[in-house]
Amino acid sequence: MNELINELKVKIIEALNLIDVVPQNIDENAQLIGGDLGLDSIDVLELVMMLEKDYGVKIDSRELGAKVFASVAALADYVHHYQSGKSN
Amino acid sequence: MGIFITSMGIISPVGCSIHDTMNAIRNATPGIKPLRLFPTGQTPPLPVGEISSLSFIDDVPRTHALARIAAEEAMKDAGDAPDAVVIGVTTGGMSVTEELLKTGILDPDKYKYHSTGSVGEYVARHVECNGPVLTVSTACSSGAVALKIALEMLRSGKAKQVLAGGVDALCRLTYYGFHALQLVDETGAHPFDRKRRGMSVGEGAAMLLLTAAESPPQNALSELLGAGLSCDAYHPAAPHPEGLGALTAMQDALSDARISPADIDYIHLHGTGTVDNDLAEARAIHTLFRDRPIPPLSSQKGAIGHSLAAAGAMGAVVSTLSITNSIIPANTGFHDPDPLLNLIPAVKPVEANVTTVLANSFGFGGNNAVLVLGHPQRRKSSPTPMRTARPVHLAVLGSACFTGAGNAKRTIECLGHGEGVRGIVPSPEILKLLSEKYVRRLKRLCRMVLSLAVSACEGHEKTDPPLAVYFGTGWGGMSETYDFLSKLYASEEQFTSPTDFIGSVHNAAAGHVAIRFQSTGPNVTTTGGDCSFEHALYSASLLSHDTDTPLLVIGADEYHDTLSHLFDASVAREGFPADGGGALYLRPATSESPLQICLSFIAYTGNNRNTISELISTLGGAKRINDQFGAILTGIPAAQRESGEAQLNTFLSMTGYPHPVIDYRRFVGEFATASAVAAVLAVSFIQADEIPANVCREHSLPLRGRGILVLGFGSHISAVEITP
Repeated sequence: MNELINELKVKIIEALNLIDVVPQNIDENAQLIGGDLGLDSIDVLELVMMLEKDYGVKIDSRELGAKVFASVAALADYVHHYQSGKSN
Repeated sequence: MGIFITSMGIISPVGCSIHDTMNAIRNATPGIKPLRLFPTGQTPPLPVGEISSLSFIDDVPRTHALARIAAEEAMKDAGDAPDAVVIGVTTGGMSVTEELLKTGILDPDKYKYHSTGSVGEYVARHVECNGPVLTVSTACSSGAVALKIALEMLRSGKAKQVLAGGVDALCRLTYYGFHALQLVDETGAHPFDRKRRGMSVGEGAAMLLLTAAESPPQNALSELLGAGLSCDAYHPAAPHPEGLGALTAMQDALSDARISPADIDYIHLHGTGTVDNDLAEARAIHTLFRDRPIPPLSSQKGAIGHSLAAAGAMGAVVSTLSITNSIIPANTGFHDPDPLLNLIPAVKPVEANVTTVLANSFGFGGNNAVLVLGHPQRRKSSPTPMRTARPVHLAVLGSACFTGAGNAKRTIECLGHGEGVRGIVPSPEILKLLSEKYVRRLKRLCRMVLSLAVSACEGHEKTDPPLAVYFGTGWGGMSETYDFLSKLYASEEQFTSPTDFIGSVHNAAAGHVAIRFQSTGPNVTTTGGDCSFEHALYSASLLSHDTDTPLLVIGADEYHDTLSHLFDASVAREGFPADGGGALYLRPATSESPLQICLSFIAYTGNNRNTISELISTLGGAKRINDQFGAILTGIPAAQRESGEAQLNTFLSMTGYPHPVIDYRRFVGEFATASAVAAVLAVSFIQADEIPANVCREHSLPLRGRGILVLGFGSHISAVEITP
């Protein structure tokens, strides 16, 4: 899981062009959207595209988005379960 | 005096004429079906408002064909050519460009209809218009903003008849772009319904012939009583949650029409069907009417989809049909009331006497435009007084420019040393006044425009920020457009970037400027090719007649490695990469204003009429030109070198102009809004009362208190006076 968390941090930084942010700066348990990183709804949509493209994860409702993007840890958890659910 | 709609033309998914459209309204004909226009790869096609039986007349993109059909219908019984054309467009030739880029065809000639500006020019050639041909690109409010500009043009007496409206055609950019933003309802749009999930992207065109007259002409269908423009200054793509900007635009439209909310018989809703848009619009309507009864209302977008730049003009046509046929159109797709909206639109067409209509249009960048249309013989307000035809002078309080050399100071230094300034604006120069974190999502053009705006307003930002923003750009955000399509094609039309879609909208940069300065007044982006900056200045002067609030007029274009050569024939011909722009912080001038700018002439020359004598006479004749202006800065796009030089030579021989004429594109470079740089340089020269050495001759040239004339030649002729 830690590996996935780190991988997601790198992808978030790259996808959202987060200047001066390194993976170590992102607390995986901190609020992801509307938190210290200054991310908003457009960033969420950009991440939705990245998740579908890179992990095959579909997030197509606001309610689900709010849950999945609560924190990097929640995101990693969702991706992990989505992928293992698919392989079962 | 009144401004009357005397004829109209429309093409939409439910009808190819006014007659068909009226039948469709009576029968509440649904027009939304799965997309057929282009393949959608592995994903099933989404429901759209597509025009299925479009017959092309010329070898032109879909947008142009739609515009021509609507324009021809509007002009079929008109005797004379219109004095001006004002048209809202966002897609231009995008549908063709997408195919060409997808198949790797890189022949600039094939892209000649790419620009949004080419649509208005195509229409102007068909209706033989020789006056101003303006293109407005303010996303989904474009058509209504175009009508507001036309209204002010007529009220000022600058024109007697204007053909105005909007058009857009379906293309991948809008189809996939709105989908990437999760703003498309996969079951088709059902505006104002509790279960609404989004819009259906659509296409179409609507053109209206507006006539100024003392009393209603016999063929008057409705009267355009007023219009209001505002900007949310809140978010690049989402509306203000309380609909504050929408409310301001509605209030301004009512006050412009000199009526109150109680006079409204029908509200033609913007009603896209997205969760947030409908909620913001509903909240704005509740605030506007407070405890008064709300009149019947409906959105057409559940029947025809959202035709983007055409939507506002279609709203004007449908509102007029509502008045002439005494009918409230149905809100197709509505079934289940939403308690949060607390509004129930008309579920089926209803017969009703309709005298006055409020028609809403809202777009990306928080761009709001609201029209008020009335029965031509049953006006509830006093007529609008005629305004002066004298062009509005604006006082220059601040300015900034970028060239390949850097900012204005560096540019003038380089010019003084005889060094070239043409080239690509250095990126660190653009970022100097911006926080990189703040602009992390913005690409080159948006950054350049924001930086220019901050620099031009330096010293005024806190005390007197600009309330209105006027922005001219020939090509908009090419980086975002290119990146959007590249990602789309790389993923076999599966994935793209929502951020790039938002940035690709022509008015994105002006929206960011509004957010930065909290500029909640009009926010107008004009995209008339090499005349885009002049069109922005013209719009600013038309819409600033009764205000004394500060405003920004900006012109800028970016250079893009692939697209600049394909889109801009002057870049293709010259081959030297260049970009830049200029910004002016202005305020309507008083007699004491020391430095003033005024757009005094603008005309399209595509119909080969000789407008030079008209230009000279508008400028006050040869004597005034020779006495008042110590130099001319002339802009002739490389692609129109021969015709432009011939026009300039005619001007010079007819006036016998004795002072230097400076061909500024030779040193600023080829980009559509090079004239914005010229205007800013002219301001600097006048402030110094001299033109530095090496600009036009070895030694500096004293201006001796005279002004500078910035003239544009080619397919549009323009004159900007800058005077001390």
